[in-house]
Amino acid sequence: MTSFLTAFFSGTAQGAIYALVSLGLVLVWRGAGVVNFAQMGQAMFTTYIASQLIQHGYSYWSAFIVALVCGAALGAIVDLGLMRPLTSRKNSKLLNSQSMRTTIPVIASLGILGVLKALAGIFWAGEERGFPSPVAPNAIKIGQTNLAITGFDLFVIGVVFLTLVLTTIFFTRTGMGLAMRASALNPEVTRLSGIKVGSVRTLGWAISGTASSLAGLLVTPRTNLSPNTLDLLLIVGFTAAVVGGLSSLMGCVLGGFILGYVISFVNVYSAPENVFIAILIFLLLALFIRPQGILGSKEVRRV
Amino acid sequence: MLAISNLVTEFDSVKALNGISFQAKPGLITTVIGANGAGKSTLLRTISGLEKPTSGSIKWFDQELTTKSVESIVRSGIAQVPEGHAVISQLSVAENIELGGLFRRRSFRGDLAVATKEVYELFPILYERRNEAAGSLSGGERQMLAISRALVSRPKLLLLDEPSLGLAPMISAQIISIVNNLCRATGLTVLLVEQNANTALAVADHGILLALGKVVADLPAKELIADSSLRAAYLGY
Repeated sequence: MTSFLTAFFSGTAQGAIYALVSLGLVLVWRGAGVVNFAQMGQAMFTTYIASQLIQHGYSYWSAFIVALVCGAALGAIVDLGLMRPLTSRKNSKLLNSQSMRTTIPVIASLGILGVLKALAGIFWAGEERGFPSPVAPNAIKIGQTNLAITGFDLFVIGVVFLTLVLTTIFFTRTGMGLAMRASALNPEVTRLSGIKVGSVRTLGWAISGTASSLAGLLVTPRTNLSPNTLDLLLIVGFTAAVVGGLSSLMGCVLGGFILGYVISFVNVYSAPENVFIAILIFLLLALFIRPQGILGSKEVRRV
Repeated sequence: MLAISNLVTEFDSVKALNGISFQAKPGLITTVIGANGAGKSTLLRTISGLEKPTSGSIKWFDQELTTKSVESIVRSGIAQVPEGHAVISQLSVAENIELGGLFRRRSFRGDLAVATKEVYELFPILYERRNEAAGSLSGGERQMLAISRALVSRPKLLLLDEPSLGLAPMISAQIISIVNNLCRATGLTVLLVEQNANTALAVADHGILLALGKVVADLPAKELIADSSLRAAYLGY
């Protein structure tokens, strides 16, 4: 029973982080049609910035806020500085075919990932370092008994839960949220409604950058921080997004939590080296049973 | 006044619009008719900025539209209802309507509520179904919704691209008559593009006949209806 609870709670905490990563991926995918491979590179970079601030004596929370703001800025810069100029060239021969139009931004995102890793190498010598957490990673005690959940797990779950609630309110209750959903679903009708679809798209990149930055801050107390530590997170987050249906925000969050449980239960009841096989089997099963994703909708082609 | 002169729009060097000039007077309905491929949709898409013309000018009173972006054209009071009942089917009816007024929200919040109420009075069925997904509406209701989305932006000029396409004759007549009443009651300027010439010309003040990207007739609507030789030559009936 204890091992079950351990697996369950650590699965929830890990799943919460995967949900964030997956949310970041889906936001950009829906808004811009790009799978952003640089996403966790952006997160790594902003987590290094936070770590640097903390080393210089700033408090955890001020570093936390700065990292989130930098995450938003980095996301917006990637869109404004690279993605928009790349895709808006009308007269480029290279961009005339649809397949190149969709491939080039993805390749560009891999380029950004490389640049960010190189910059981390230059600024911080690619050094692996620990990253603090604001809550001690000890098991919570009631009387004398240790519970299977740590204070840090609770912190992660709480922060992610709050983020998801705020995101939901933003998308369903605010005009900007409506504009973002509309831009993703039908850019032409949205432009004809007087909405600046380009700016809305940039905002999507910024929110995605913030979400991944948050994921970086929440995962590194456990994994340490190095230029490559967050790569795995992208793979799991991407799997979660595909399982959830790529276009559905609820679906990708759900996918994140399910993957958290899969990974955590395999870790506890099997062996850590089986985790990758488990992810792959799970992805294949999900694609066989519901290729459109848990909450994704089937594309209906009109003729 | 909408004044279009020598407008040319090309797709891969094919001239979809080949030097078009005409005027649409304020407060009146101008109907553009023409066969498939005459350039009717391209004309509206060029006015609203979705296509950039190669040359020529589009003037709305003293503003030149050809250099403006789609969003700023909409914001200057020109709303287009695109072809094919363009609504966002995954959003609710109310959200589709809200979308049309979103850009005015900061400065005209109160007025937006009034505008929303007005479109619901115009199309009560939309009010009844306001919480349903737009995708669940019938073709006629979708067209009503697409028009409502345009109307909440309180346009001065309404561009309608084949509103009767794919609709039963009774429904399309009803929609066109609502647009007609609206134009007469509020002084809205309407540019209506239709393949279905009879209904569309019946309510119009002025008629333009397009063929292969050129204006072949520019007449008061009554005269265009009466001219059976023109219709036989260009529309085939």
